[in-house]
Amino acid sequence: MDTQKFATADLHLIDTDRINDSPGPYGMSFGFELKPLVRSIKTVGLLNVPVLIEDGEGAKTVISGYRRIQAVKSLKWDNMPCRVLQKSEFSPLECLLLNLHENLATRNLNNVEKGMVLSHLNSYLPLNEIMKDYMPLLDLPSNEEKFDLFLKIEKELDENIKIYLARGHISLQGVRMLLDMDPASRLSVFGLISNLKFNINQQIQLINYLIDISHITKASVIELLKDQPLENIRLNDNLNTPQKAKAVLRLLRTRRFPSLTEAEKTFNKMVSKLDLPERVRIDPPLFFESPDYRLEILFKEGKELREKIGRLFKMDGIEEIGNPWERGA
Amino acid sequence: MKDLKIKKVIVEKGVSGQEFAQQILRRLPDIPVQTIKENESKAVHDIQNMGKEILHLLPYKGEFLKPCPGTREYICCGYQILNVATNCPLDCSYCILQSYFNQPYLKTFVNLEQGVEQVLKIIDSNPDLVFRIGTGEFTDSLAIDPITRWSDWLLPLFSKRKNAVLELKTKTDNIRGLLTSKFRDRIIVSWSLNSPFIAVREEHRAASLKKRLEAARQCQSEGFVVGFHFDPLIPHPKWKEEYTKTLELLDKYIDPKGIIWISLGSLRFMPGLKPIIRRRHPDTCVLDGEFIMGLDGKMRYFKPIRMELYSYMRKNLEKWHPDPGLYLCMESHDVWQKSMGWSPETSNGLKRYLDRRVVEIFG
Ligand code: SF4
Repeated sequence: MDTQKFATADLHLIDTDRINDSPGPYGMSFGFELKPLVRSIKTVGLLNVPVLIEDGEGAKTVISGYRRIQAVKSLKWDNMPCRVLQKSEFSPLECLLLNLHENLATRNLNNVEKGMVLSHLNSYLPLNEIMKDYMPLLDLPSNEEKFDLFLKIEKELDENIKIYLARGHISLQGVRMLLDMDPASRLSVFGLISNLKFNINQQIQLINYLIDISHITKASVIELLKDQPLENIRLNDNLNTPQKAKAVLRLLRTRRFPSLTEAEKTFNKMVSKLDLPERVRIDPPLFFESPDYRLEILFKEGKELREKIGRLFKMDGIEEIGNPWERGA
Repeated sequence: MKDLKIKKVIVEKGVSGQEFAQQILRRLPDIPVQTIKENESKAVHDIQNMGKEILHLLPYKGEFLKPCPGTREYICCGYQILNVATNCPLDCSYCILQSYFNQPYLKTFVNLEQGVEQVLKIIDSNPDLVFRIGTGEFTDSLAIDPITRWSDWLLPLFSKRKNAVLELKTKTDNIRGLLTSKFRDRIIVSWSLNSPFIAVREEHRAASLKKRLEAARQCQSEGFVVGFHFDPLIPHPKWKEEYTKTLELLDKYIDPKGIIWISLGSLRFMPGLKPIIRRRHPDTCVLDGEFIMGLDGKMRYFKPIRMELYSYMRKNLEKWHPDPGLYLCMESHDVWQKSMGWSPETSNGLKRYLDRRVVEIFG
């Protein structure tokens, strides 16, 4: 690439309405906040000029500076200084790389933008070159599975989910799971996620439960989301949004793990029947997998400890504690 | 086993001269051969097929004999793996090898002769130990035997050792190589069995249960010691009736006397395998159970479900024969105790129990 040619390209004052409004074939900006840039340009002017490319007939496509152009347009400037390249002198790949390197030098790309970059590169470069040179440049592992995921994000993901992803409100894992669903189910699940503001871990749990239950019951994800108990939670005015999210997950967990949740219920019943001293608790092993149960006694001094141990020692029913499926409630 | 189709052979430069590689190539006269440099084989991104129709001949650089990757948290049988190949032409939906989809092809190690030599040295220099060795951990032991004829190489070597046994574990009926061999002593041929429901739906390209058991009967009647592995046990609709059908078939074909062991194991997998299974086998039922994270970080069924599976199988297998050599694969002391009525307590305890079975059967 002839780097000198970029630097020495002519500066022109261009009418803003003659600059193409779309991000164009080199665009890699998504989900950005325009206000700070507008404020900066309003205060100190345009410090770094955009680069455009002109086809033979006068149309100008943005190579770099898309966001600056949007900011200037929102300030209603009639014209703005731009560096203008001639189409005959620069290949599309060179234009793309110019924008890519300029972006990488000044900011971190979000995951949607990385998808845009890879999708553009995919039109010009062989896969092995993208893997070798560009995946690392984008801080991505050089594997084709990841590459495919980012292409899918660019090509198949719905706009609202892209916004969520760009803002870091959903993880790549969550997006991958949504992309494995059919588009209608994906939108329904995303609707629930955004309505009840599930956090990133909860999103993964939710999607996992829904997919699993759908497989087990042969009901579609959309049908599951229309289930009455779930609907009741959504409409329950006594719960706030985080409480609703938790209640949905609890409901789905009970459906996904009937024996485990039953065992937990039975165990809790067993423990609640005991008249445990204050600040004393008995916990089952995680998922009842280890054979060891846990007793926790909080105390301020030895006397209190002795008193609590004494009560535990004499407590009726304590010997019943154990695997709930063996003892029953 | 459904027909084994090899469409291409990839040979790493420098190994085509090896006798073992040449023999394999002679058995595949019309198959295109591509020679590549060491490590040149590209990771193909074919999660669906995983290069199961391409045979890759290469040298193995690691230790040929490795202990079974047991974990501290569960009782392990102390089995040793002879690493002859990785990947498998069969396509069970629950197979852990799917995690290695980015290291595709049927990789067959052609420096086996040198590797086995090392292994035999280890065996011979430890006459007081019993080595239970198997080839069926990273591949099916017999699935590509018609091409590799491992049986020709390995049977005579292990037959001579008094402190080792070689177990060939399979879901196929590829026993021709075994039957033409004159060696029987210290060789165990074992079959992985499941319910007919799982065998048909989930063990793609494997031989039918009937064919597996016919092959087992033939091996048994021709003097081989046989074993069975109900692993992975998978609860599914009407699982009791379904597993009973397999036990009935077992009774029909096999004489329980002289079976060296029958293992029971329930499905377990690293969490990362789940999305791969979902993508490769969208209609599978193997992910439907109540999986929890086990103490070793693997997903496994909630404990009472596992105990119910084992207890049911134990009750019925012990009706068939009072001492069928039952053992649990990667289970905890309390699960052993409650579902088998006894426990070896530790991995060493289980090792001693299985070594004793070897001595009882082979002397
Ligand atoms: S036979 Fe064994 S190695 Fe082969 S696909 Fe099935 S589980 Fe995997």
